[in-house]
Amino acid sequence: MSEPAVEVRQVRRTYTSRKGFFFQEKVETEALRGVDLQVQPGELFGLLGPNGAGKTTLVKILSTLLLPTSGTAKVLGIDVAEDPRRLRPRIGLVLGGERGLYNRISARENLRYFADLYGVPAATQAGRISKVLDTVGLTEAADRRVEEFSRGMKQKLHLARGILHDPELLFLDEPTIGLDPKSARDMRKLIRDQVANGVTVLLTSHYMFEAEELCQRVAVLSKGRIVARDTVAGLRRLVGGDRTLEVEAYGFEDAEVRRLRALAGVSRIVTEEFGPKQRLTLRVPTGGLGVEEVRAALKGRSEVEIRERRTTLEDVYLDLVEEEAN
Amino acid sequence: MAATTSLGPRALLASLRVTILQFLADPQWIIGSAAAPVVFALAAFEIYRFSSPELVLFAILGGGMMSMWAQTLYGSGWAIGQDRFLGTLEPTLGAPVDYIWVVGGRVIWNTVSGLLGGAVVVGVVALAYGRPLPIHDPLLFTLLFVLVMLALSTVGLLFTAIFVYSRYAGFVQNIGEFTFYVITGCMFPILILPSWTRPFSLAFPATWALEALRAATFTPYQGLSWGVQGDLLGTLVLSLAYIVVSIGLYRRVVHYLSDTGGGSSDDY
Ligand SMILES: Nc1ncnc2c1ncn2[C@@H]1O[C@H](COP(=O)(O)OP(=O)(O)OP(=O)(O)O)[C@@H](O)[C@H]1O
Ligand SMILES: [Mg+2]
Repeated sequence: MSEPAVEVRQVRRTYTSRKGFFFQEKVETEALRGVDLQVQPGELFGLLGPNGAGKTTLVKILSTLLLPTSGTAKVLGIDVAEDPRRLRPRIGLVLGGERGLYNRISARENLRYFADLYGVPAATQAGRISKVLDTVGLTEAADRRVEEFSRGMKQKLHLARGILHDPELLFLDEPTIGLDPKSARDMRKLIRDQVANGVTVLLTSHYMFEAEELCQRVAVLSKGRIVARDTVAGLRRLVGGDRTLEVEAYGFEDAEVRRLRALAGVSRIVTEEFGPKQRLTLRVPTGGLGVEEVRAALKGRSEVEIRERRTTLEDVYLDLVEEEAN
Repeated sequence: MAATTSLGPRALLASLRVTILQFLADPQWIIGSAAAPVVFALAAFEIYRFSSPELVLFAILGGGMMSMWAQTLYGSGWAIGQDRFLGTLEPTLGAPVDYIWVVGGRVIWNTVSGLLGGAVVVGVVALAYGRPLPIHDPLLFTLLFVLVMLALSTVGLLFTAIFVYSRYAGFVQNIGEFTFYVITGCMFPILILPSWTRPFSLAFPATWALEALRAATFTPYQGLSWGVQGDLLGTLVLSLAYIVVSIGLYRRVVHYLSDTGGGSSDDY
């Protein structure tokens, strides 16, 4: 097997901020607490996790913007802390969002500036800029000021900047955040096209369906630790089943919940309440427990509603994050 | 991919270009920043207008210098402040080129616009005076005037690095503004300052450039001047020293940002 595109070993990162009138009070935040990770060349790898999990922190470390407090991170075989300058031309970074662009100048001028900073050969620069503008669908808006751009257009421009110098590896931090469904879909297509062109992509996301749709493998980060790392199918197995049964009624008795839990094949039950109703979510493997068996176990309760569906990555993710919280 | 060492000058030009484009997109702000020193200089001129032409010139020069210095300070704060404000600092730091080149492009623009501001002040007050000023060698005067601004630019470069430690930026800016007026003797002769301030004055390349300008303009001139040539040498040596220190400081600054994660904060 070739060398991994990303190799993270025991990376920790602590932020120290200061408070108080004379900044005398130190506050430490442990954003990453010993992360291990490998991404293979050509892979589209997803990094998931709730707010504050440390996703952006990890992306910034890998893209040489932030130093790890301890541990080592190698990208394309280069240690990010030791030789950032050699690495930078070979990677692209998209932090996205409303900011991060020179608003008063045009999209094309923004790209021209960064093309110069990245040393895109002057002879081919104009052509390259037109090409990436075309790739992201901004050709028509290319000469308008960025301040007139919608959120989605800015996001596309961020991506254009990220791929401008033809990087081997792209880091995308929440590439579809704040986009409407159509723009988000366009963006996902652009990301898939990059991978089809041989670019390795590491993206972070809050949206499980997005990772499910795009990524071969994902890692779930929670409170600075990786709590799961697998293929999407593997993760589904990890939480005990690729089928989910949702059982709803106006309240369950403890005895009923115990009885359900005792049924063969039920790996876990999550209890939620909304309004007067209570919902039990059961994860079950293919060929395991069915709707009828659950109904039988809740004998005599006619108002019980039972639905069966595929376990989504969203479910897996919530299970994992909840597990971590307990 | 081009060797990263050759990227610097290109980044400097790119940065200068973007700075000018940004200015052209919204040029009206310069009226505000140029108007204040003019008003200030006119007020000073009123105080001196019935004194000797030398004193009037002294006041005019002081006004011009203050304008240039205000522009330098404001400009060097904004040179990195804009990247914080716009969120472009991290994308820029992620590029394979030293940040100092990017700042360099902006400092060049500050130098040009500072010179324009200074020239406007001198021009307006000279018009208000309505009589010829005792400038014996206009060419030398102009060259030395430009030199003062160039010396100021090296200070601007250094200050920009200091402004990275953002929470002190406002403080440095305020203290810096008024300290300059005093230690370079903008408004009154430097010689009336207590002698312990002398090292501070002399550690500042703009003081030397300004002394050269005054020595060439006022004859006889009593100041710290070592003669025009001596002052020129002093300006050169100190300016170079400021650039060398800046280069080292920028390395530290970039390391500081990646160490603290401060590159993402927008609290300019
Ligand atoms: N510059 C900083 N200074 C201090 N603490 C920080 C800084 N940046 C991030 N943190 C803290 O580090 C932790 C991880 O933050 P990070 O931004 O990496 O999370 P995230 O997974 O990207 O979250 P989100 O989904 O909200 O973007 C959080 O507790 C955050 O408050
Ligand atoms: Mg984040």
